[in-house]
Amino acid sequence: MKFRKTMALGMAAVMAMSLTACGGESDGSASSSNNASSNNNAAASGSTDNGNTAADNTTPEAAGVPTYASIKLGEDYTDLTASIKFMHHKTDREGDGTMDRLIAEFNKVYPNIQVEAEGITDYAETALLRLPTGDWGDIMFIPAIDMVDLPEYFLPYGTVEEMSGLINFADQWKFEGNCYGIGYMGNAQGLLYNKKVFADAGITELPKTPDAFIAALQQIKDNTDAIPLYTNYAAGWTMGGQWDAMLGAITTGDEAWLNQKFTHTAEPFKDNGDGTGAYALYKILYDAVANGLTEDDYTTTDWEGCKGMINRGEIGTMVLGSWAIAQMKEAGENADDIGYMPFPISIGGKQYATAGPDYCYGINAKASDDNKAAAMVFVKWMVEESGWCDLEGGYPISKTAETSFVFDGVNIVENISALDDEADLMNQMNADSELNFNNGGDAKVMAIVEKAAAGTPFDDIMAEWTEKWNAAQSNLGVDVLY
Amino acid sequence: MAAATAQSKTPFRLGKWFRSRKGQQAIVIIAFSIIPLALLFVFTYYPFAEMFKFSFYDRNYTKVRSFVGLKNYIDVFKRDDCFRALWLSLYYMGGAVVQLALALYLATIFCFGVKGGNFFKGCMFFPYLINGIAIGFIFKFFYTRGFVFDTVLQWIGFDLENLPYWLKDTRINNISLVGTSVWKYFGQNMVLFVGAMMSVDASLYEAAELDGANKWQQFKYIMLPSIKTIVMLNLIMSITGSLSAFEPPYVIMSGGGNGTATYFIKMHEIAHISQKVGLASAMAIVLLMIIFAATILQKLFFKYVFKNAEDEDKGAAARRDRKLAKGKGAARV
Repeated sequence: MKFRKTMALGMAAVMAMSLTACGGESDGSASSSNNASSNNNAAASGSTDNGNTAADNTTPEAAGVPTYASIKLGEDYTDLTASIKFMHHKTDREGDGTMDRLIAEFNKVYPNIQVEAEGITDYAETALLRLPTGDWGDIMFIPAIDMVDLPEYFLPYGTVEEMSGLINFADQWKFEGNCYGIGYMGNAQGLLYNKKVFADAGITELPKTPDAFIAALQQIKDNTDAIPLYTNYAAGWTMGGQWDAMLGAITTGDEAWLNQKFTHTAEPFKDNGDGTGAYALYKILYDAVANGLTEDDYTTTDWEGCKGMINRGEIGTMVLGSWAIAQMKEAGENADDIGYMPFPISIGGKQYATAGPDYCYGINAKASDDNKAAAMVFVKWMVEESGWCDLEGGYPISKTAETSFVFDGVNIVENISALDDEADLMNQMNADSELNFNNGGDAKVMAIVEKAAAGTPFDDIMAEWTEKWNAAQSNLGVDVLY
Repeated sequence: MAAATAQSKTPFRLGKWFRSRKGQQAIVIIAFSIIPLALLFVFTYYPFAEMFKFSFYDRNYTKVRSFVGLKNYIDVFKRDDCFRALWLSLYYMGGAVVQLALALYLATIFCFGVKGGNFFKGCMFFPYLINGIAIGFIFKFFYTRGFVFDTVLQWIGFDLENLPYWLKDTRINNISLVGTSVWKYFGQNMVLFVGAMMSVDASLYEAAELDGANKWQQFKYIMLPSIKTIVMLNLIMSITGSLSAFEPPYVIMSGGGNGTATYFIKMHEIAHISQKVGLASAMAIVLLMIIFAATILQKLFFKYVFKNAEDEDKGAAARRDRKLAKGKGAARV
């Protein structure tokens, strides 16, 4: 009887355990947006050049629809009458009236083109479900589909070659040389900073190396009341998600490092001695904490609160993707103080930044010709004239539109995706080593902060990581090539 | 002839058995218990058996890589982070003892009658009704430097300079976290104790009072023995809960950072982030064994403790016997 009672209690414990375990996995919003873009990349890399599958390879001109390049905004099609529908995921912009304002601006030039915008929560799934039905409207943000399916659903804007002269990331959605998607804004990896704090601290030139960056943080500490670097430790995803995102081309200058070489590297965390590599990246965080250049109590940082703080000039810098710029700008009255700079690591005197488009406009291939023309005009206007991309603080899409996003003298690169037969290798290495780079491995970056505060030498942390990485390599039988 | 009758009787007998009282009883028992038993099996024992099986494989959620035998179990004992996490449970066990003592103390006071007792009881029970995640957020702000707790302490004369960082300082942050769980659960324990104490026959106290027992003696010899089942239950629940603490460090310390990762958090990390399902299953089984062991030890301990409380003091019994024997002897003489 007693045994049965204990047994039942034990079972109850096991049940409770499994219940609580299910409740986890609550990453921040940012990581989900990162996922969206990486899904796009995955779809991009998954394209197989099946030349014969093109459904109807009609070029836009042949169907009586203008190409993106041929439209002169404000001159062509001003008398076109059409009613188009635009499906998007920016429900926040729907809510605050920005979308209505943009459309009203558009209608000043094109009074007869009615645009109905539909903001959808849970966009990624809804868009995929509605795409095959064909009657979702005229413009949508292209969800994660295979490249080969592009011609079936979407109208090409022109050739990639032609489009590359006009916009950035024209090859994000390409099939058989045609460009099917244009980003509404780009995302870049770098560092968020407050211009006023930098000016007050007497920093005249943006730091380009880890040493210069730490020195700049020290200057902020000495000369202002601001927190030099706000870690956002307590939010969790701001640690792993944001710092790991710098790995790859930014830290090594090598576009193949992250997805192709990293898994085969014997000592990925060794000190290169010249302020480059993963070592230098995480050392920045370590040094900042160890030298007291971060917030007083890292355990109680507040993600919502930090937005207003950097806006008011109480924070010097934060390591966040460019998607965060808009949020920081809107959190207070000093939108102009928010700046974005390349990550302070230089390889051979050159800084690198990875960037890619966010969601991309796609035009319905099944719409009527008038609607296609109207949609083409609308997309071009949105990209070139609306200023939406800049409003969001995004990396520019249009090569000619005005932008406040300045990344002077920086190589914009993209991390090349993994080789086909090694597509799952990074996941396996992440799992086996439990380091989980770019995969929810917040704990390891949080540990850097903790150990820096406790005084554990940085080299010990890196040695531990190397050990785990090498153990995973030998467990999985990965060839060590570099 | 006889064999033939026996054969023809067999099916008849079965039908009759179904209709007989005994048969009906069996049918009713089976019919009523089959659904809960099926549920119990499908949702508890079968998944548990599967998990037990997982613990012998190197696998993630979708793919089984290989059968590894006891390697996962060996890893659980060899990895320094798993058992270090278990030591943290000692903080929570310490908290559980404080929590029960506090609950028992307050329940006793309430039982002997307090003005506005129900109001206070309600106030103290209230935290138990709040969602654990919400409590996490409350205490995150509570412990933030210069916020609620520090402000209150400054009112009563502490200097902010001398106050520790409640969550950052690794020497005390686990105690801070335990504080939140004590805050949440002591009210519930108290209400259970009060309920049990109410059911003790009031005439026992009266009788004890007439015999000259003071409140402490009433508590020790009447109340405590009468509610020992509830005390046991609460203690077992609290200790089991301590071994499986999850919410406070997960919510307040953003997933168990800064040396607050309990066994459950480690398990969550290994199972869901690193997707080492085999290892995590082995950790779960090991924890189950530890909980078994802890429960059995508690049982034994209480058997010992309450034996003394239930029986009267041996010395006193001997003295009384001697007195009685003397009295009888005297009467005879």
